[in-house]
Amino acid sequence: MKAFYKALFSIIAITLVSPVAALAQEASGQPEMATGMRSNGLIFVVVGVIVIILGGLFLFLIRIDRKLNKMEREIDNKS
Amino acid sequence: MNHSKVFVALLRKEVLSEWRNKYAISGILLYLLSIVMLIAFTFETTDDRTWMVMFWIAILFTSVNAVAKSFLQESEGRQYYMYTLAAPQLIILSKMVYNTLLMLLLSSIALLLYVVSLGYPVADSLSFLIAMLLGAMSFAATFSMISAIAGKASNSATLTAILSFPILLPVMRILIRISLRALPQESLQVNAQDMLYLLALNVFIVVLALILFPYLWRD
Amino acid sequence: MLRQLKTRWWKALAVVLLLYTFTAGMLIDVPARFVLHETIRNLFFHVPVWFTMILLLLVSLIYSTLYLRHGKLAYDIVAEQLAKVAVVFGVLGFLTGALWGNYTWGDTFSWLFADTKILGAFIGLLIYVAYFILRGSVPDEEKRARISSVYSIFAYILLIVFIFVIPRLTDSLHPGNGGNPAFSTYDLDNTMRLVFYPAVFAYFLTGCWIASQLIRLRILHYRKHNINI
Repeated sequence: MKAFYKALFSIIAITLVSPVAALAQEASGQPEMATGMRSNGLIFVVVGVIVIILGGLFLFLIRIDRKLNKMEREIDNKS
Repeated sequence: MNHSKVFVALLRKEVLSEWRNKYAISGILLYLLSIVMLIAFTFETTDDRTWMVMFWIAILFTSVNAVAKSFLQESEGRQYYMYTLAAPQLIILSKMVYNTLLMLLLSSIALLLYVVSLGYPVADSLSFLIAMLLGAMSFAATFSMISAIAGKASNSATLTAILSFPILLPVMRILIRISLRALPQESLQVNAQDMLYLLALNVFIVVLALILFPYLWRD
Repeated sequence: MLRQLKTRWWKALAVVLLLYTFTAGMLIDVPARFVLHETIRNLFFHVPVWFTMILLLLVSLIYSTLYLRHGKLAYDIVAEQLAKVAVVFGVLGFLTGALWGNYTWGDTFSWLFADTKILGAFIGLLIYVAYFILRGSVPDEEKRARISSVYSIFAYILLIVFIFVIPRLTDSLHPGNGGNPAFSTYDLDNTMRLVFYPAVFAYFLTGCWIASQLIRLRILHYRKHNINI
């Protein structure tokens, strides 16, 4: 179960970080073109926003899930 | 006893207990002196904007320490005794009025120390003084209420700061905006809207506190 | 009230509306604007996050007042968990806003401290983080519920005053403030409204759903110690 969470977390983390990597490439001195995140009329900014929202909510849900697991274990041990 | 008589008695009690605990008020004065000297010695000379912003930050931190103790210094037993004597609304109101007076005194002393060490660049003194008055009211009202809340919890000194700073952040913003406008020229007319807004906000804080305070001491 | 937590229909509604938001939000025709380009679609994704935070906190406030009136611990649990979810939405609002602003308002983030809308949002987050710290430092349950309810009501009402009054007096890059025209005048044309309002509702229901899980978890915690809520 723990490995599953780790994998899920790293997937979310990679998707969250990749826009930042694109941003870093952009910083090098070339004239500003509509590349990377800026291509197709900035649509990837919208994608990034969606990914952050979904990623954040899923991380939160995972936390609740773990709490629930812990609670179930404690109640099982007690009875 | 009617309400005004009780109110005056409560106010008298605040002044007397401050007078009998002279080390508390002298502690605050020393704190104020240290802050102003810290600013004076670290900046050496200030431009006008820095002068103003640092002044308000000094006032804010002094008032945390001066007003925040208002509910913390009283023992539980004395509080219960007071609650049997007077309505809770009167108690919080008297604290707020007393703390406003205390804050006015402290801000005047702060201004004096500040002028002596760093000069006085303000052109429109009237706007600035009104801002100080409104600031004293906001700080006193907010910190009185919040210290009543924090007094019920453990590590209340830190709690008072973290609970009240978010509420005071916009107040500080408006105060500093008024004062910065007062720096170069006469600006009472431009500032009137902000001042009225701040006054309304103060009334709002007081009303909220009057409604909510009775719930705090019901145990 | 607690029975409502287990009903299904509003969760189904949340799913349907959320699916609608995410598909329609990406597919419908949007008005072309300078600077914004396609990111005008973020109106369907970033803005409802803030609306949800404010709405969840409003419901939390209602439960706080209910607690002060009736003194039932269940009300306090609901208020606390709703505030928790609202804070998560607030953080998401900040992250998405930072990304969006980075590509439209400039990547130096100098707009971050000059904007009163952002100040209001930041204050809101600070207030509720402080609220949880306050809760953490009162051990007695009844007292904790009472004190934190008082603080929540006091701070939230002042926050609402700041958010809805101050921005009208000062500059903001956000629409509808400091001389900027409001969304209604040009951005939010009628087709966009058809996605925007369902989006707010979808996020709000999703927030309530997550909060309901937290509330049930909390009740389970009390039941474990043989306290029935």
